[in-house]
Amino acid sequence: MKGLRIALPAGTLFDGACDLLRSAGVARIDAAVFDRSLRVEESGNALIKVRPADVPVYVEMGAADCGVVGKDVLWESARDCYELVDLRFGACRLVLAAPEGAALARGDWSGSLRVATKYPESARRFFAGMAVTVELIRLNGAVELAPAAGLADAVLDITATGQTLRANHLVEIAEAGSSTARLIANQAALKTRSDSVNTLAAALRRAADSVRGAEGAA
Amino acid sequence: MAAVVGDPRSTPALGRAGGFSDLLPGAAGRRRDLIEAFVGAFESWGYGLLGTPLVEPLDTVAAGIGAARQSQLFRFMDADGALLTLVGERTVSVARVVATQLQREQLPLRLCYAGPVLRNAPLLDGRRREAIQAGCELIGHAGLAADAECIALAAAALERGGVRGVQIDVGHADFIPGVLESAGLDADAQRIVLGALARRDLVAVEAALERTDVRDAERRLLLAFPTLRGGREILDTAAIGLGGDRPRGAIEQLMQLWELIEEHGVTQGVHLDLGAVRDWDYYTGPTFEVFSLDSGFPLGSGGRYDSLLERFGFPARATGFVLHVDRCNDVLTRRDGEPQPPAALRVAWSSGQRVVALSLAKRLRERGVAAVCDLDLTDPRATDAPAQACSDGVHWIARGARGQGSLDAAVDALTGPAG
Repeated sequence: MKGLRIALPAGTLFDGACDLLRSAGVARIDAAVFDRSLRVEESGNALIKVRPADVPVYVEMGAADCGVVGKDVLWESARDCYELVDLRFGACRLVLAAPEGAALARGDWSGSLRVATKYPESARRFFAGMAVTVELIRLNGAVELAPAAGLADAVLDITATGQTLRANHLVEIAEAGSSTARLIANQAALKTRSDSVNTLAAALRRAADSVRGAEGAA
Repeated sequence: MAAVVGDPRSTPALGRAGGFSDLLPGAAGRRRDLIEAFVGAFESWGYGLLGTPLVEPLDTVAAGIGAARQSQLFRFMDADGALLTLVGERTVSVARVVATQLQREQLPLRLCYAGPVLRNAPLLDGRRREAIQAGCELIGHAGLAADAECIALAAAALERGGVRGVQIDVGHADFIPGVLESAGLDADAQRIVLGALARRDLVAVEAALERTDVRDAERRLLLAFPTLRGGREILDTAAIGLGGDRPRGAIEQLMQLWELIEEHGVTQGVHLDLGAVRDWDYYTGPTFEVFSLDSGFPLGSGGRYDSLLERFGFPARATGFVLHVDRCNDVLTRRDGEPQPPAALRVAWSSGQRVVALSLAKRLRERGVAAVCDLDLTDPRATDAPAQACSDGVHWIARGARGQGSLDAAVDALTGPAG
């Protein structure tokens, strides 16, 4: 497997992506090699570190052949890429949460609802067809502060451990989706560099399975 | 802060609609060359060039293409209240023309087109909203020979346009739906898997298959589907253990199609791709896509669409393809750089020699050499113009050497050996 351009997501999935590439024998890298440059050549492949939401952009436009990205990013992206492998790390859930003691938290959904979220597309899909009038408020971060500040009745946000929700006195009402990291590929790269892309997919799948197996045994 | 000259923020009239681009001399010329090469190839295979409008009634378009693609059309209303669209592709227009004006022609009909198509895509996604498509439709022939001809013609047209080293992946629209059916999946499960495949979400395909009791042979095929590519040999591999008439029929057709493509002598660069993900509601038989290492998007695509024309009241089998001219132009730019605008040969003239200069320029153009004649009098001694009309005859610089003589001698020297 040579000559692939692979986009990696900065942020919470970055260390996991580097670990998986290393354990799969794809690239001998750790997160620190990107401190100097956001583009690294390793074992005949080029690795670039970009913002998570930009991974599908690079891949769809063919500026990268493959990418590692959270499913939660793909929910929000209208980009046309192949989603090849569930890499099984970076698990998190998209949940609707409301302040402790609120009517909503007791299951009373009546009336209209103001929901703060960083995930407007997922929110639209989640609330579509529900008999509730929802006003979405798109925020860019710290969504969990919105109810206490009086900005929203509830939040639709990603949680891995539930810790942030608890710290902000929010309780989960419903799950809107669950996410893990995915390997995605450009449609033309899958055909023109199919041997390399399929080898990468198989190597990452094996590595993800063995990590999962090891965690299961622990 | 000083305004930047030409900055549309400071001069609103200089704005350009997002997703639309200008091509400067050079790039525009090469795109024109590509269109001419493609249409030239189509016509040399006997495909008649059709002119169809940029605007079609929404009802016409809606009869031809699915809801997802309809939502990406520019729509507007004319003064009579008719709902119109700017075309997003041109096969539907060809189908309309065939059904209304060419229905008495002898079949098969060979037609081609080239022109802009528009897509009302979100502004910031970096995709073109206007693109040139050049394509062919072969209407009224049900046989695989027609599909092979389209594949061979697409390859020939790209070759003629100088778009080399392409890869053509041939698949069959009936294979994957057929495998799902013969695997014993119920209609719901089939719909879920096909939907996931159409979204190119193989993780969801895997999850959907885990929930069902698909037979092993089919499960193995469906999970391996991105790897179901290769030469003729993959058809034998795929056929092992595969039940069901539909997928076997698709494989049988691809075997025959491969032989026909071989007879055209174009199997170089052609792969079979049983995992091809295409629009299963539109295509009914063999399909193909053209790829290049230098493009993240297909350069062309095509296939058999036997059910389109009957929606226009003209039941006829048909197959065809489209080439994406702008993507081909991108590939050439990536390989060769931005094309230079063609250089015209400059003719200068001294006092009283303007007529000679105009005559020289005219004769150069007749010999196929682009020439510009100076608009104003210049001192020929002070210019570097390769051709100068002076009172003592015509002076020229050709192939690094200077010469002087008659108009005829100058034309010969500047255009190379006559003939």
